[in-house]
Amino acid sequence: MKNAKNILWALPLFSVLLFTSCEKDDPDIPNEEELITTLIYTLTPEGGGTAIEFRFTDLDGDGGDAPVIVNGTLAANTTYNGVVTLLNEAESPVEDITEEVEEEDEEHQLFFTVTDANATVAYADADADGNPVGLATTLTTTGASTGTLVVTLRHEPNKGAAGVSSGDITNAGGETDIEVTFSVVIQ
Amino acid sequence: MKRLLFLILSISLLPLMGMAQNCSFRIQGKLSDESTGIPMAYATVYIEELKTGVAADSDGNYTLKNLCKGDYHVRFSHIGCEARTVFLKLGSDTTINLRMHHHDELVDEVVIHEEYDDHGSQTSVSIKKEQMSEIANKDLSEMLENLTGVSSLKSGAGISKPVIHGLSGNRITVLNNGIPQSGQQWGSDHAPEIDPYVADHLSVIKGAGALAYMGSSLGGVVLVEPESVGNDPHLHGDVNYIFQTNGLGHTLNARLEKHDKWAAWRISGTAKVIGDHTAPDYFLSNTGKREFNGALQLEKKFSNRWNMKLYYSEFYTEIGVLRGSHIGNLTDLEDAIGREEPLFTEDRFSYSIDAPRQKVQHHLLKLESNHIFNEHQSLHIRYGGQLNDRKEFDIRRGERTDIPALSLSQWDQFGEVLYRHFFEHDMRLKTGVQFKFVDNTNNPETGILPLIPDYRSYQTAAFAILQKEKTRALYELGARYDYTHLQAITITSTPPREIERFYHHFHNYSISAGFQYEFLRNLKLNFDAGHVLRSPQVNELYSQGLHQGVSGLEEGNRNLRNERSIKGVLSLDWSIRNKLFIQALGYYQYIGNFIYLQPEDEFRLTIRGAFPVFSYRQTDATIGGADLLLSYEPIESIRLVAKYSFLQGDDITNSQPLVYMPSNNLFGSFSYSIKDGEKRKNTSISINGRYVFRQHHLNDDQDFLATPSGYFLLGASAGTSVKLNKASLRFSINGENLLNARYRDYLNRQRYFADDLGWNVNLRIGCSF
Repeated sequence: MKNAKNILWALPLFSVLLFTSCEKDDPDIPNEEELITTLIYTLTPEGGGTAIEFRFTDLDGDGGDAPVIVNGTLAANTTYNGVVTLLNEAESPVEDITEEVEEEDEEHQLFFTVTDANATVAYADADADGNPVGLATTLTTTGASTGTLVVTLRHEPNKGAAGVSSGDITNAGGETDIEVTFSVVIQ
Repeated sequence: MKRLLFLILSISLLPLMGMAQNCSFRIQGKLSDESTGIPMAYATVYIEELKTGVAADSDGNYTLKNLCKGDYHVRFSHIGCEARTVFLKLGSDTTINLRMHHHDELVDEVVIHEEYDDHGSQTSVSIKKEQMSEIANKDLSEMLENLTGVSSLKSGAGISKPVIHGLSGNRITVLNNGIPQSGQQWGSDHAPEIDPYVADHLSVIKGAGALAYMGSSLGGVVLVEPESVGNDPHLHGDVNYIFQTNGLGHTLNARLEKHDKWAAWRISGTAKVIGDHTAPDYFLSNTGKREFNGALQLEKKFSNRWNMKLYYSEFYTEIGVLRGSHIGNLTDLEDAIGREEPLFTEDRFSYSIDAPRQKVQHHLLKLESNHIFNEHQSLHIRYGGQLNDRKEFDIRRGERTDIPALSLSQWDQFGEVLYRHFFEHDMRLKTGVQFKFVDNTNNPETGILPLIPDYRSYQTAAFAILQKEKTRALYELGARYDYTHLQAITITSTPPREIERFYHHFHNYSISAGFQYEFLRNLKLNFDAGHVLRSPQVNELYSQGLHQGVSGLEEGNRNLRNERSIKGVLSLDWSIRNKLFIQALGYYQYIGNFIYLQPEDEFRLTIRGAFPVFSYRQTDATIGGADLLLSYEPIESIRLVAKYSFLQGDDITNSQPLVYMPSNNLFGSFSYSIKDGEKRKNTSISINGRYVFRQHHLNDDQDFLATPSGYFLLGASAGTSVKLNKASLRFSINGENLLNARYRDYLNRQRYFADDLGWNVNLRIGCSF
């Protein structure tokens, strides 16, 4: 019984040792280098002129503050050369994610889906297999109208599936890395 | 050398000694069925050393006469039973009364007569070693599924967590070797890191308040209990190999044990390599699995009053997650749901595991010291240390696929002191204090803001349980107090990123009462009721970020309060003329402040599109149900079993059903046992069927997809054992989903993307010596 008493005395001591541990250290804030905060779709009229920018910015990634969207107005019956730029503006200096997509162009494809507005988008680039990537495009407008443009970046799509190489997302599969919606005014 | 000499000497002297002494010792006793208490008529008792045996009489009594002093392995067997071998140093007339495990299906045992029984009047169910070895290629949760009232929450073929009476995850506790399992239990795709093969006994406490255990017993407790090594001074062990056709999987288990002079020891290990599983029509690409586990058990008896036990186990697993179930946003989910065949389905089989995948390592160290002061009082001190390391890999851009997207390390220290006192008049007290410390850290290597924050939690608890036994009745009363201090360190979700600290204090009071009454020897009634509190866990308080699983943004709620549960369980055991056995259990649980994920009306826009927001809310809920079991044995060699589980969960504040409640299901089996031959033992064949009903109790707007239809699975098995000189070989074959039914299960998250597993046959060879 004496033994037991000794053990019982040791208990509070043990618990004190266990519980007097200090505050936990601050966590390391992860370096979110993979994050895409910004998509810019720059449209330059074919014969030259002022470039029009569609821009989606969400500096804090998923959740947090709401994103900022800048829409553009296009001229009717015009052909534009489109360029997509992807940035991580949360990093300093700002990181160009476009390069990552270019390096893995066989595993990526951008899709441009126009609804209601009188505009069509055609691919103007290709990966090593001859399939489109979508970083460079041409956008052609016809009559005045308003509508939406959805820009989607798919990771590991099935580029060989029906319609995918001509820009139809239906059978593309893969995962969506980006899906942003802009309003388009053509006048 | 000295030892060897002694050994040779003693072996050579043994026959002489045998001649010189009197050979008139007896071994006698009575054999009865563990679950029903019915005598095991005509069971065989065999002494391996002497190669002789006797049969018990019609009342299960046996006597072996004219035995010399010596060491014996006595083997007890009966048709349709797991044979048991007892080691004995015979030096006087000895009585061995054995309760044999005859009714695998009658698992709703309420054991009270064993001295070291921990369950009291709690309703519990269990699985034994022999059954577990037959299905050693399965996970812990899949094994427990065989019990009525227990189901599995799955994420594809390789990940499953137990669900007891509709509750899982944070609400149930898994006790591994007496130590509450600690890991990332919050995730629905985080399976318990336990190799069930090391345990001899798995049991589930379904009762209202298993107050002796740390962790939340609000939803029930799973106990994984390795048996004591025992006193046998000879080397024993077993090897078990299973091949499964679905996934071309190999599972190898091995165990060795011996009672050496310095200590009793047991080592065991498991290796599993399973490739892509198959649905009836296609491969489930990237659903392979690897698992490598090992355990060491040491027991040292210093005196009759003091013994110590050490246990160490290591668990390592790498699991592939169905490639087609990995989605980027809501559009992808909608696209994936409608498909005939999941995206990324390969047309060939592979053992390789690519992203998305999980890699988990878990270490457990237990030290136990038991002090028996006298026949009434004992003290038990236990320490458990755990280290859990979980890494989850996603498909990522820019060669980051090999960088984990989730990487968490958790340290856990557990200590407990239990005191037992057996008073006069069959009164027993069990009381104790417990401490638990958890330190959880996100490794910043991920490059992603953590889903759950870094935290520390300190938990202190005390409990007391009092039992009183009267001729036919058993009463139990228990009370428990828990204090938890939680320190969470979060990173803000808006820039600039800042570190914030939050502190929580939770007080939990729990009480329970149980009553058991034996009306007749064959009719027993058990009732228990309890009031149990559970404090919110860190994920419920602080989750923040995108949850790929639900394709939504999950938001914790810092203001959550304790859940309060009141549960009542009534069970009845009735055996009619030793031929028909009925076990019925009904339960009803009310949970106030029930914590659940509520899909909000809000959609939040991100660069990946709009995501629904899910936030943790509290409501009042009820869960009610029944587990029924019928077993009929018209003649000794034939047995028919039927089981039915029914459950309904409701959110009573919002008048809507609770999500993720198990579907009702019906199970039936027919088995035929063949009488043991000279060498051939324990031979039986059986056929079984399970029908799982559609989960109708759910509103259409509560899920992306309508609940899957009901399904029927046909199974069959056959097995036999061959007794060789010292060893016994076991061969068995066991088929699952033999009709190759196409089905999806409501509790399997993979159901959005793919069919469940097609047919499978497991072939097993086991050898024990």
